[in-house]
Amino acid sequence: MLKIENLHVKVDGKEILKGLTLAIPTGEVHAVMGPNGSGKSTLANVLAGRPGYEITAGSVTFQGRDLLGLAPEERAREGVFLGFQYPVEIPGVNNVYLLKAAVNAARKHRGLEEVDAFEFLTLVREKMRLMRMEESMLSRGVNEGFSGGEKKRNEILQMLVLEPRLAILDETDSGLDIDALKIVAHGVNTLRSPERSLVLVTHYQRLLDYIVPDHVHVLVRGRIARSGDKSLALELERRGYDWVTGEAA
Amino acid sequence: MTEALCKRLLDEYAAVRDSLPADVVSPERRQEAIDALAARGLPVTRDENWRYTNLRPLERARFAPAAAAPARGASGTPPPLPSGLDLPAGLGGFARYTFVDGAYAPELSSPREQAGLTVRHLRQAPDGAAAQAHSAAVLRLPRALPASSGLPEARLALLNEAFATDTAAIHVSGAAAAPACVELVFVALAGADKGASYPRIEVSLDPASRLILVERHVGADAGASFVNCSVNVDVGRGAHLTHYRLQRAGARSTWLDTLSAALAADARYGLLAVSTGGLSARSTTHVQMAGAGAQLALSVAALGDRQQVQDHFALVEHIAPRTRTEQTFRGIASGRARVAFNGKIAVREAAAGTDSRQSLRGLLAGPEAEIDVRPQLEIYTDEVRCSHGATAGKLDEDMLFYLLSRGLSPEVAQRLLKWAFLEDVVAKIEIPELRRQIEHGLAGQMADAASLKELL
Repeated sequence: MLKIENLHVKVDGKEILKGLTLAIPTGEVHAVMGPNGSGKSTLANVLAGRPGYEITAGSVTFQGRDLLGLAPEERAREGVFLGFQYPVEIPGVNNVYLLKAAVNAARKHRGLEEVDAFEFLTLVREKMRLMRMEESMLSRGVNEGFSGGEKKRNEILQMLVLEPRLAILDETDSGLDIDALKIVAHGVNTLRSPERSLVLVTHYQRLLDYIVPDHVHVLVRGRIARSGDKSLALELERRGYDWVTGEAA
Repeated sequence: MTEALCKRLLDEYAAVRDSLPADVVSPERRQEAIDALAARGLPVTRDENWRYTNLRPLERARFAPAAAAPARGASGTPPPLPSGLDLPAGLGGFARYTFVDGAYAPELSSPREQAGLTVRHLRQAPDGAAAQAHSAAVLRLPRALPASSGLPEARLALLNEAFATDTAAIHVSGAAAAPACVELVFVALAGADKGASYPRIEVSLDPASRLILVERHVGADAGASFVNCSVNVDVGRGAHLTHYRLQRAGARSTWLDTLSAALAADARYGLLAVSTGGLSARSTTHVQMAGAGAQLALSVAALGDRQQVQDHFALVEHIAPRTRTEQTFRGIASGRARVAFNGKIAVREAAAGTDSRQSLRGLLAGPEAEIDVRPQLEIYTDEVRCSHGATAGKLDEDMLFYLLSRGLSPEVAQRLLKWAFLEDVVAKIEIPELRRQIEHGLAGQMADAASLKELL
């Protein structure tokens, strides 16, 4: 599904990713963990195509195509989804409009007709129930006045409606209380499938109790310092990041 | 003002003076106005608070009113509206009065009786029949020049005073269960070479009365008219006026406007303007918070594209204690347009307890566009609360990226964000029907009715 090779990325002239190599096969869930400043969010943003990141070396292929050559909206239409760490508020653009515009952009890209309004609303309502979101949120501005937890649930709602091939969730667990974390995890788990890959970017092991990954990678100073199965996350929890950063130094 | 221009102004006035209707403005007052204007001069861009206005059209404009020319046929019927100019659909429950090139057009109007409401057009039919029908109506018209006309920013009202061909005079009395609802439509048809159009409105609300006024200015799409509008508003003690002003003049028109309002104690005035038309548009708004506890909500949305100039100047004077203003401006400049809002708040000595808030924001949507938002405060007393925020900038990069990351094209994302920006003002429109009309108009104006249609 996704193949990252020797990726070097600079932000404001400073190298953040220093030769990152990572492969995410189709149907797997991978967790990318790491201490603050290790480059986790940079990785997520680069994959989604956020401006301001200078790629100096390396390649990223998504389903055999050069991902870095695609504009952000093309990546989205191809099925790449970024769940934002800090979802932005956009007053004046309502949630349901954005959802529909996003779905139709992807459908048009695939040569499909626009979604039927009634079927669409039925689907959105069903997903909202899953995320325990009140229906009134649909007619509000995107994330407008939402609490931190509501914003994160809204990200997952968008993901559930868009059904991406590859979802990158950037610190989706941060700022969530335990109930919200369970709701979010449940939402994510319903999307797990043999055709879909998920990348969970997280600082803490806690999320992985609820979304169990197939593989865990530890990112240290811009490189994958260690990979393993889910037990690696537990070991990290026990021993702290110093264990890996010390080794990587 | 150059000597030549001043002379032409006086010559044009002298040539039409005797044909101007005395029942609209008395000859004495017209003379007083033209003299005052000649003495002060027409504004020039060197003048403080006029530097964003495009005043060049004044040099070429014909000041004599188009309506004074024999526009009407022998039968007294006006020429039909040109194809392509559809008047906006009427609003449920509203009485509509339409003026074409500054003259009342009964065939395009639909009066509707409402408790306590008197609407008159002051120019009466020559046979006196219409005059009689209205003679019972009591109307307090100002006898002297409006107080604002002494302001340098308001001097174009003098031009209207001198040349006015008709007046829409609205008077509301008594506390009715529901507010009176009036819609005024001003159509500018004549090209600037044929003469000017002088829309003119007098609004007077007795104590405790209520009125919703929708004022529209329209022209043919490619129209090149010269319009000089004057509005005087008097809101009595405890009265409520909600006033929507929608300017959609023809694309090559010059649209100049002066509104003066005085608010008595506990009066409430909600003034919301959406300005999208004309090539050169300028609005001067002067509100006097004359009575204790008066409240003003002034909201302006302006959209400029191509070479358009949209310039607004607003002076709010807090004269009495405990008066309150809330000002919102949202302007977008695309193409090579220039959009400006200059909001001045003056708090006089006796206006203790004034509360004024300004939120002025401009959005720059073109590399050659210009935005200027300027809050100004003049405070002559203690015990006031004045806050203002003014920003001018480009679209928010984070918002833009968020929309792109969901698959929206950059064009759609940008239009959506511009739309959202204007919503701060548009969302304040309390009449759903009107709000829809304006949203459709704005979507059309943004040349993207298709991608925005689902928002409507």
